[in-house]
Amino acid sequence: MHDNIIDRSKDVTILELLDRVLNKGVILTGDIVISVADVDLIYLGVKLMLSSVETMEKLKSGRYITSEKA
Amino acid sequence: MKLLIYAIVSVKDAPGTLNSLLTGMKGTSGMPLYSVPFNEVSVVVSNINSEGLNASQTDAIGYAGLIETLAQKFTLLPMRFGSVMGSTQEIADMLGKNMNEILRNLEKVEDKFEFGLKIFCDSEKVRAGLKAKSAASAKLIDKPAPEIKHSVYLDYVNQKLKEHRLEELLMAYVDSVIAEIKGTLARLNSIDKFRKTGAEKNIIDAVFLLDKNKKAELIKVVEGFKKQYPELDFILTGPWPPYSFIDITIK
Repeated sequence: MHDNIIDRSKDVTILELLDRVLNKGVILTGDIVISVADVDLIYLGVKLMLSSVETMEKLKSGRYITSEKA
Repeated sequence: MKLLIYAIVSVKDAPGTLNSLLTGMKGTSGMPLYSVPFNEVSVVVSNINSEGLNASQTDAIGYAGLIETLAQKFTLLPMRFGSVMGSTQEIADMLGKNMNEILRNLEKVEDKFEFGLKIFCDSEKVRAGLKAKSAASAKLIDKPAPEIKHSVYLDYVNQKLKEHRLEELLMAYVDSVIAEIKGTLARLNSIDKFRKTGAEKNIIDAVFLLDKNKKAELIKVVEGFKKQYPELDFILTGPWPPYSFIDITIK
Protein backbone atom coordinates (compact mmCIF):
# COMPACT_ATOMS: atom_id res chain seq x y z
CA MET A 1 0.00 0.00 0.00
CA HIS A 2 1.16 3.53 -0.77
CA ASP A 3 0.07 4.63 2.69
CA ASN A 4 3.10 2.90 4.20
CA ILE A 5 5.18 5.88 3.19
CA ILE A 6 3.36 8.19 5.60
CA ASP A 7 5.19 8.20 8.87
CA ARG A 8 2.99 7.16 11.75
CA SER A 9 5.65 6.55 14.34
CA LYS A 10 4.42 7.98 17.62
CA ASP A 11 7.39 10.25 18.28
CA VAL A 12 7.37 11.87 14.85
CA THR A 13 3.62 12.34 14.92
CA ILE A 14 3.61 13.95 18.36
CA LEU A 15 6.49 16.28 17.53
CA GLU A 16 4.89 17.33 14.28
CA LEU A 17 1.53 17.76 15.96
CA LEU A 18 2.91 19.85 18.83
CA ASP A 19 4.92 21.94 16.41
CA ARG A 20 1.74 22.78 14.55
CA VAL A 21 -0.63 23.32 17.44
CA LEU A 22 1.85 25.43 19.44
CA ASN A 23 3.51 27.37 16.64
CA LYS A 24 1.02 27.66 13.81
CA GLY A 25 -2.63 28.29 13.12
CA VAL A 26 -4.58 31.47 13.74
CA ILE A 27 -2.90 33.71 16.29
CA LEU A 28 -5.17 35.42 18.74
CA THR A 29 -4.52 37.64 21.66
CA GLY A 30 -5.28 35.71 24.79
CA ASP A 31 -4.34 34.98 28.33
CA ILE A 32 -3.49 31.55 29.60
CA VAL A 33 -1.28 29.58 31.92
CA ILE A 34 0.40 26.59 30.38
CA SER A 35 2.50 23.82 31.77
CA VAL A 36 4.39 21.49 29.54
CA ALA A 37 5.03 18.00 30.83
CA ASP A 38 7.08 18.28 33.97
CA VAL A 39 8.02 21.90 33.39
CA ASP A 40 6.91 24.46 35.93
CA LEU A 41 4.02 26.63 34.91
CA ILE A 42 4.95 29.24 32.39
CA TYR A 43 2.82 32.33 32.35
CA LEU A 44 2.29 33.50 28.84
CA GLY A 45 0.90 36.97 28.72
CA VAL A 46 -1.45 38.82 26.48
CA LYS A 47 -0.22 37.28 23.27
CA LEU A 48 0.13 33.56 23.72
CA MET A 49 3.23 32.04 22.24
CA LEU A 50 4.85 28.85 23.23
CA SER A 51 7.39 29.07 20.56
CA SER A 52 8.45 25.58 19.61
CA VAL A 53 9.10 22.03 20.54
CA GLU A 54 12.77 22.96 20.66
CA THR A 55 11.99 25.62 23.23
CA MET A 56 10.01 23.09 25.22
CA GLU A 57 12.99 20.78 25.28
CA LYS A 58 15.19 23.64 26.46
CA LEU A 59 12.65 24.45 29.13
CA LYS A 60 12.55 20.86 30.27
CA SER A 61 16.29 20.81 30.69
CA GLY A 62 16.16 24.15 32.48
CA ARG A 63 18.49 25.75 29.99
CA TYR A 64 16.21 28.43 28.69
CA ILE A 65 13.09 30.22 29.80
CA THR A 66 11.12 32.66 27.73
CA SER A 67 7.69 34.09 27.36
CA GLU A 68 6.52 36.57 24.84
CA LYS A 69 4.22 39.37 25.73
CA ALA A 70 2.52 41.67 23.30
CA MET B 1 -16.12 32.62 32.26
CA LYS B 2 -13.50 32.61 29.51
CA LEU B 3 -13.68 30.59 26.32
CA LEU B 4 -10.98 28.43 24.78
CA ILE B 5 -11.22 28.59 20.99
CA TYR B 6 -10.40 25.56 18.83
CA ALA B 7 -11.20 26.51 15.26
CA ILE B 8 -13.10 28.85 12.99
CA VAL B 9 -15.28 26.57 10.89
CA SER B 10 -16.98 27.26 7.57
CA VAL B 11 -20.58 26.14 7.92
CA LYS B 12 -22.00 27.61 4.73
CA ASP B 13 -22.75 24.17 3.24
CA ALA B 14 -24.11 22.43 6.32
CA PRO B 15 -25.04 24.85 9.08
CA GLY B 16 -26.74 22.25 11.31
CA THR B 17 -24.14 19.49 11.03
CA LEU B 18 -21.52 21.12 13.25
CA ASN B 19 -23.71 21.29 16.33
CA SER B 20 -24.78 17.67 16.04
CA LEU B 21 -21.11 16.65 15.68
CA LEU B 22 -20.15 18.66 18.76
CA THR B 23 -22.89 17.11 20.88
CA GLY B 24 -21.21 14.71 23.23
CA MET B 25 -17.66 15.80 22.33
CA LYS B 26 -15.47 16.96 25.19
CA GLY B 27 -12.84 19.65 24.96
CA THR B 28 -9.82 20.53 27.12
CA SER B 29 -10.31 19.63 30.81
CA GLY B 30 -13.37 17.59 29.82
CA MET B 31 -15.48 20.69 29.16
CA PRO B 32 -18.32 20.33 26.62
CA LEU B 33 -17.80 21.83 23.18
CA TYR B 34 -20.24 24.21 21.56
CA SER B 35 -20.23 26.69 18.70
CA VAL B 36 -20.62 30.42 18.41
CA PRO B 37 -22.24 31.15 15.03
CA PHE B 38 -21.67 34.31 12.98
CA ASN B 39 -22.83 34.55 9.36
CA GLU B 40 -21.16 31.77 7.33
CA VAL B 41 -18.79 30.65 10.07
CA SER B 42 -18.96 29.16 13.53
CA VAL B 43 -16.31 29.22 16.21
CA VAL B 44 -15.87 26.03 18.23
CA VAL B 45 -15.23 26.75 21.90
CA SER B 46 -15.32 25.30 25.40
CA ASN B 47 -15.52 27.10 28.72
CA ILE B 48 -12.54 27.63 31.00
CA ASN B 49 -13.06 28.00 34.70
CA SER B 50 -12.22 31.26 36.42
CA GLU B 51 -8.81 30.04 37.62
CA GLY B 52 -7.63 29.83 34.04
CA LEU B 53 -6.29 26.84 32.21
CA ASN B 54 -3.40 24.81 33.51
CA ALA B 55 -2.80 23.08 30.26
CA SER B 56 -0.38 20.22 29.81
CA GLN B 57 1.21 18.63 26.79
CA THR B 58 -1.58 16.05 26.89
CA ASP B 59 -4.12 18.87 26.64
CA ALA B 60 -2.29 20.29 23.63
CA ILE B 61 -2.38 16.89 21.95
CA GLY B 62 -6.09 16.49 22.78
CA TYR B 63 -6.78 19.98 21.45
CA ALA B 64 -5.05 19.12 18.16
CA GLY B 65 -6.98 15.84 17.99
CA LEU B 66 -10.28 17.68 18.22
CA ILE B 67 -9.29 20.03 15.43
CA GLU B 68 -8.33 17.04 13.30
CA THR B 69 -11.72 15.42 13.89
CA LEU B 70 -13.47 18.62 12.83
CA ALA B 71 -11.19 19.01 9.79
CA GLN B 72 -12.34 15.64 8.47
CA LYS B 73 -15.83 17.09 7.95
CA PHE B 74 -15.41 20.85 7.64
CA THR B 75 -13.17 23.46 6.10
CA LEU B 76 -11.65 25.27 9.04
CA LEU B 77 -8.94 27.56 10.33
CA PRO B 78 -7.23 25.87 13.29
CA MET B 79 -6.40 28.14 16.20
CA ARG B 80 -3.05 28.09 17.94
CA PHE B 81 -3.36 26.21 21.22
CA GLY B 82 -4.32 28.49 24.08
CA SER B 83 -6.40 30.99 22.13
CA VAL B 84 -8.76 32.44 24.69
CA MET B 85 -11.48 35.09 24.56
CA GLY B 86 -13.61 36.61 27.28
CA SER B 87 -17.16 35.96 26.05
CA THR B 88 -19.31 34.96 23.09
CA GLN B 89 -19.90 38.65 22.44
CA GLU B 90 -16.13 39.24 22.19
CA ILE B 91 -15.94 36.38 19.70
CA ALA B 92 -18.77 37.82 17.63
CA ASP B 93 -17.03 41.23 17.61
CA MET B 94 -13.75 39.63 16.60
CA LEU B 95 -15.44 37.75 13.74
CA GLY B 96 -17.18 40.90 12.55
CA LYS B 97 -13.91 42.86 12.47
CA ASN B 98 -11.91 40.13 10.71
CA MET B 99 -14.51 38.48 8.50
CA ASN B 100 -12.91 39.38 5.16
CA GLU B 101 -9.56 37.91 6.16
CA ILE B 102 -11.24 34.85 7.67
CA LEU B 103 -13.26 34.16 4.51
CA ARG B 104 -10.17 34.69 2.32
CA ASN B 105 -8.23 32.14 4.36
CA LEU B 106 -11.13 29.68 4.43
CA GLU B 107 -11.39 29.90 0.66
CA LYS B 108 -7.66 29.22 0.31
CA VAL B 109 -7.80 26.02 2.38
CA GLU B 110 -11.21 24.76 1.22
CA ASP B 111 -11.20 20.99 0.61
CA LYS B 112 -7.47 20.86 1.19
CA PHE B 113 -5.19 19.09 3.62
CA GLU B 114 -1.68 19.93 4.70
CA PHE B 115 1.19 17.44 4.45
CA GLY B 116 4.65 17.76 5.93
CA LEU B 117 7.83 16.48 4.34
CA LYS B 118 11.10 16.32 6.23
CA ILE B 119 14.22 15.36 4.33
CA PHE B 120 17.19 13.94 6.18
CA CYS B 121 20.65 13.10 4.94
CA ASP B 122 23.85 11.66 6.22
CA SER B 123 25.62 14.95 5.59
CA GLU B 124 29.10 13.44 5.93
CA LYS B 125 28.31 10.92 3.24
CA VAL B 126 26.73 13.52 0.95
CA ARG B 127 29.69 15.87 1.52
CA ALA B 128 32.12 13.07 0.67
CA GLY B 129 30.19 12.37 -2.54
CA LEU B 130 30.17 16.04 -3.50
CA LYS B 131 33.87 16.34 -2.68
CA ALA B 132 34.70 13.40 -4.92
CA LYS B 133 32.59 14.83 -7.74
CA SER B 134 34.18 18.23 -7.36
CA ALA B 135 37.70 16.76 -7.33
CA ALA B 136 36.93 14.76 -10.46
CA SER B 137 35.66 17.82 -12.33
CA ALA B 138 38.65 19.87 -11.12
CA LYS B 139 40.99 17.28 -12.62
CA LEU B 140 39.36 17.72 -16.02
CA ILE B 141 40.36 21.37 -16.10
CA ASP B 142 43.59 20.90 -14.23
CA LYS B 143 46.30 23.42 -15.01
CA PRO B 144 49.80 23.21 -13.66
CA ALA B 145 49.74 25.13 -10.40
CA PRO B 146 52.25 27.94 -10.04
CA GLU B 147 54.86 27.17 -7.48
CA ILE B 148 53.89 28.80 -4.22
CA LYS B 149 55.74 28.39 -0.98
CA HIS B 150 53.65 26.71 1.68
CA SER B 151 53.05 28.46 4.93
CA VAL B 152 50.81 27.86 7.93
CA TYR B 153 48.68 30.85 6.95
CA LEU B 154 48.34 29.82 3.33
CA ASP B 155 47.42 26.27 4.32
CA TYR B 156 44.83 27.64 6.73
CA VAL B 157 43.30 29.88 4.06
CA ASN B 158 43.27 27.02 1.55
CA GLN B 159 41.60 24.74 4.05
CA LYS B 160 38.91 27.33 4.81
CA LEU B 161 38.39 27.92 1.10
CA LYS B 162 37.91 24.20 0.52
CA GLU B 163 35.39 24.00 3.38
CA HIS B 164 33.53 27.01 2.03
CA ARG B 165 33.38 25.48 -1.47
CA LEU B 166 32.08 22.25 0.00
CA GLU B 167 29.33 24.11 1.88
CA GLU B 168 28.45 25.90 -1.35
CA LEU B 169 28.23 22.55 -3.14
CA LEU B 170 26.00 21.19 -0.38
CA MET B 171 23.68 24.21 -0.58
CA ALA B 172 23.56 23.90 -4.38
CA TYR B 173 22.68 20.22 -3.94
CA VAL B 174 19.87 21.10 -1.48
CA ASP B 175 18.60 23.75 -3.92
CA SER B 176 18.57 21.20 -6.73
CA VAL B 177 16.55 18.76 -4.58
CA ILE B 178 14.06 21.51 -3.72
CA ALA B 179 13.76 22.56 -7.38
CA GLU B 180 13.14 18.97 -8.44
CA ILE B 181 10.46 18.43 -5.78
CA LYS B 182 8.80 21.76 -6.50
CA GLY B 183 8.72 20.98 -10.21
CA THR B 184 7.14 17.58 -9.65
CA LEU B 185 4.60 18.86 -7.13
CA ALA B 186 3.54 21.65 -9.46
CA ARG B 187 1.70 18.93 -11.37
CA LEU B 188 -0.49 18.37 -8.30
CA ASN B 189 -1.33 22.09 -8.05
CA SER B 190 -0.02 22.18 -4.53
CA ILE B 191 0.84 25.29 -2.59
CA ASP B 192 4.18 24.65 -0.94
CA LYS B 193 6.61 26.15 1.52
CA PHE B 194 10.21 24.99 1.67
CA ARG B 195 12.76 25.77 4.32
CA LYS B 196 16.45 24.96 4.14
CA THR B 197 17.17 24.21 7.74
CA GLY B 198 20.96 24.51 7.61
CA ALA B 199 21.05 21.55 10.00
CA GLU B 200 23.45 18.65 9.63
CA LYS B 201 20.80 15.97 9.20
CA ASN B 202 17.35 17.46 8.65
CA ILE B 203 18.28 19.49 5.59
CA ILE B 204 14.82 20.41 4.28
CA ASP B 205 11.45 21.04 5.93
CA ALA B 206 8.54 21.41 3.59
CA VAL B 207 4.78 21.67 3.86
CA PHE B 208 2.23 21.26 1.09
CA LEU B 209 -1.38 22.29 0.82
CA LEU B 210 -3.10 19.83 -1.43
CA ASP B 211 -6.61 18.87 -2.57
CA LYS B 212 -7.96 16.21 -0.22
CA ASN B 213 -8.36 13.77 -3.09
CA LYS B 214 -4.70 14.03 -4.17
CA LYS B 215 -3.22 12.24 -1.17
CA ALA B 216 -2.52 9.05 -3.14
CA GLU B 217 -0.78 11.03 -5.88
CA LEU B 218 1.42 12.80 -3.34
CA ILE B 219 2.42 9.49 -1.80
CA LYS B 220 3.34 8.17 -5.23
CA VAL B 221 5.44 11.26 -5.92
CA VAL B 222 7.33 10.91 -2.62
CA GLU B 223 7.94 7.24 -3.35
CA GLY B 224 9.51 8.38 -6.61
CA PHE B 225 11.77 10.82 -4.72
CA LYS B 226 12.89 8.03 -2.41
CA LYS B 227 14.06 6.04 -5.41
CA GLN B 228 15.61 9.07 -7.10
CA TYR B 229 17.60 10.12 -4.03
CA PRO B 230 18.67 6.94 -2.22
CA GLU B 231 21.13 8.98 -0.13
CA LEU B 232 18.24 10.90 1.45
CA ASP B 233 15.50 9.91 3.91
CA PHE B 234 12.03 11.29 3.32
CA ILE B 235 9.50 11.50 6.14
CA LEU B 236 6.01 12.38 4.99
CA THR B 237 3.40 13.24 7.61
CA GLY B 238 -0.25 14.12 7.37
CA PRO B 239 -2.91 14.78 6.43
CA TRP B 240 -3.04 17.73 8.83
CA PRO B 241 -5.48 20.58 9.17
CA PRO B 242 -4.02 23.56 7.28
CA TYR B 243 -1.98 25.01 10.19
CA SER B 244 0.92 26.24 8.09
CA PHE B 245 -1.05 28.04 5.40
CA ILE B 246 -3.02 30.52 7.42
CA ASP B 247 -1.85 34.08 7.19
CA ILE B 248 -4.08 35.87 9.61
CA THR B 249 -3.47 37.47 12.97
CA ILE B 250 -6.74 38.22 14.67
CA LYS B 251 -7.03 41.75 15.91
